[in-house]
Amino acid sequence: MKRRDVLSSAACVAVKVAATGAATGAMALRPSDARAAAAAAAAARPCDNTAGLQADIHLIGNALPAVQHLAARAHACNSQGLKVTFKITPQARIETERAFAAAGRSPFDAAVISAGAFSNLYSRQQLAPMTDLVARFGARYRLEERMLVRVNGEVMALAFMQNTQNLVYRQDLFEKHRLAVPTTHAQLLQAAITLQAQEPGMAYPLAQGYAKGFDVAVEFTNVLASLGGQFFEPGRATPAFQSALGQQAVAAMRTLLPVMTPNALASNTDDVMNLLQQGKAAMGVLWATRASRMDDPVASKVVGRMAFAAAPSVLPGGRTAAHLWWDGVAMPRNMGGGGARREAVFHVLMEMLSEPSVQSGNELAIWVRSAYRPGRFGTGVALAQAAGALAWPAEPFFSLAHGELGKALPDALVGTRPIADVLNAAAAAYQSVAAEKGFLNSAKQGAS
Amino acid sequence: VKTRSFLQFVAPSALLMVVLLALPLVLTLWLSVRSCAPVLELATVQQSGPFGVQETVTQRARLDTRGQALEQCGWVGWDYYRKVLGMDSDAKLHSAPASTAAGATAAADRPQLGQNEFWQALQFTLIYTLGTLPVILVGGLLLALAVQAATVRLRGVFIAASLLPFIITPVVGALAIKWLFRDNGLVPHLLSQVGVHVFWMAQAWSARLLILLYGVWHVLPFAFIVLYAGLQSVPQDSMEAATLDGASRWQKLRFVVLPHLMPLLAFVTMIHLMDAYRVFEPVLVLTQGAFTTSVQYLTYYVLMEENNPHKASAAAVLTMVGIAVLLIPVLRRTWREQRQGL
Repeated sequence: MKRRDVLSSAACVAVKVAATGAATGAMALRPSDARAAAAAAAAARPCDNTAGLQADIHLIGNALPAVQHLAARAHACNSQGLKVTFKITPQARIETERAFAAAGRSPFDAAVISAGAFSNLYSRQQLAPMTDLVARFGARYRLEERMLVRVNGEVMALAFMQNTQNLVYRQDLFEKHRLAVPTTHAQLLQAAITLQAQEPGMAYPLAQGYAKGFDVAVEFTNVLASLGGQFFEPGRATPAFQSALGQQAVAAMRTLLPVMTPNALASNTDDVMNLLQQGKAAMGVLWATRASRMDDPVASKVVGRMAFAAAPSVLPGGRTAAHLWWDGVAMPRNMGGGGARREAVFHVLMEMLSEPSVQSGNELAIWVRSAYRPGRFGTGVALAQAAGALAWPAEPFFSLAHGELGKALPDALVGTRPIADVLNAAAAAYQSVAAEKGFLNSAKQGAS
Repeated sequence: VKTRSFLQFVAPSALLMVVLLALPLVLTLWLSVRSCAPVLELATVQQSGPFGVQETVTQRARLDTRGQALEQCGWVGWDYYRKVLGMDSDAKLHSAPASTAAGATAAADRPQLGQNEFWQALQFTLIYTLGTLPVILVGGLLLALAVQAATVRLRGVFIAASLLPFIITPVVGALAIKWLFRDNGLVPHLLSQVGVHVFWMAQAWSARLLILLYGVWHVLPFAFIVLYAGLQSVPQDSMEAATLDGASRWQKLRFVVLPHLMPLLAFVTMIHLMDAYRVFEPVLVLTQGAFTTSVQYLTYYVLMEENNPHKASAAAVLTMVGIAVLLIPVLRRTWREQRQGL
């Protein structure tokens, strides 16, 4: 009932938008309307390749607009014999990990997962290869090689969207004050100081997500990579982020604090977006997929005035302080139900990730498929890749180190404890939890 | 026959209590003294995807002959409790010897007891619990007296309006408070009009104050409605006798109303101590743990981020112990009153 209401209201909005567009000529869709239109389009088009399938399929994913679009597409495959449910939840990662780890049959037949979750699931050998299905049906669904996440040749997941962090900045203010687009932290700081001094009402020109937990640890990971630092000793779970470069990374983050709101340590991505959209900040490093929301007239006062560039490196000549992310779909090893069921799940996944599906949801993500037509903010990933961004760390123990850093870093940033102490404490805490999870610190242990 | 009838009446509720209370508790205790982890091996893998090909050395689960991931489970006793409390011990857990220089440095720099996150969480939890309790009791009583004194027509409006914060979902309530106080929020904007610039989430005192404010805003209506109900049953003959004896309004409140409300005040105290010790939503939503953390937030972190149900169970048991300790004085008082009543 609830889903039908959502879809029918989405369809109404889509009709309204289409009617308005026809009346006013070539009117661009607002991002919020684009989402509704995409949902309606996804739900309206019937599935081409699932007719005659008999299965009860359960899928799960997080509450991103692109995933909601895929869910609408999956629901469109419901027929007399095929019943598809798609659970959308902010806790999708943890529910997926629990389901795929279950001793019995997994309650979910496939899940939308991030690159980080993929590392964990692969490490625990909980993913089922899809190599045979890709070989049989890949050509029919025009699967592209870059969508195939292979490990030692076996297809373990299908990537459908990508993301990174870009520098988003107020082009009008940069032109007004004749500022060059910053390519290093020093230039970023200098531009912020200039705007602070010369632009009325711009007390804190830089907005960054430094919130305790996930956000601040992401930024540390980006900055450390830009400096060329290592998170772990090669091939081991032994931490290396507390090195001199790690300390330099925290120090680099600290230098930016004076031009950021004093609330920065509680500012997450939503807060950063709010500051930029309301014109209270002039620049910030933000998720590429969020950048298009700067042009959403419902929420933004700076429509058409924002531009974007690769996130600045810390030092001249360094790599961009950003990472490349992907999201994809994967099947659990404990799916159960035999080959026919597995095939049915694959066909539904293919309907979700098909070219028409990407085309109807074009504005909702930076899709991996070449059918994707990037909008004004849609080339951020390519930009970051060209600036040397690395893929998000794939070590299965990385998320544990990331979590400990997220808890500890605010102390170093506000200066209540020395940077070296904080990083060493985070390293010790990480070692403790990594040991609890059975991760190995040495090659010798692994061989024994 | 009497015993049989008694058992027939009691059995359904006793069964429910066993299934819903006792069994989960025993299971939590059981989980907290055990640990499970996959048996891992080093593997060099070549991974390709949207961003090209990379070769990495990773760690993955060993498989048994049936292709199932091997897992090692065992008894660890109090080790997880000691870890949560900051008295680190890897003795029985799946220890990974930190033989490298980095590991040795890290081990030497473990935080002291005062810096341990459990003690920090406990400190703020107690500040929140004991800081909000008197405000809720006094505020709830004052509000109840004020509504009691209002005209009948206004009472309905007051009651409905006062209950709103209690009805609102905690996460939504916390978000509303956050949006009121964050950058560009209504409160900082109004304050800036009179030259006061406060960044509410920039330092410990203001971040903590916000969470306490949320706690009072959210729970005060509960105290109010319970005490208001109590005021309806104050014996009128005692009030009239006090009036005839020339008692002032304060004396009537002090010697007639308050003794009558005392069991309800104990009830509100008990409920609030239990609820407040489990404070979670405002910490997660308002500050994401910056300058503020709570024992319940810690349990959530261990379960959701570390994905370790065993250690999270130990943290949950410690939370329960904390609540029990806080409740001892109130329970003793209630117990004494019950005995006197008999």
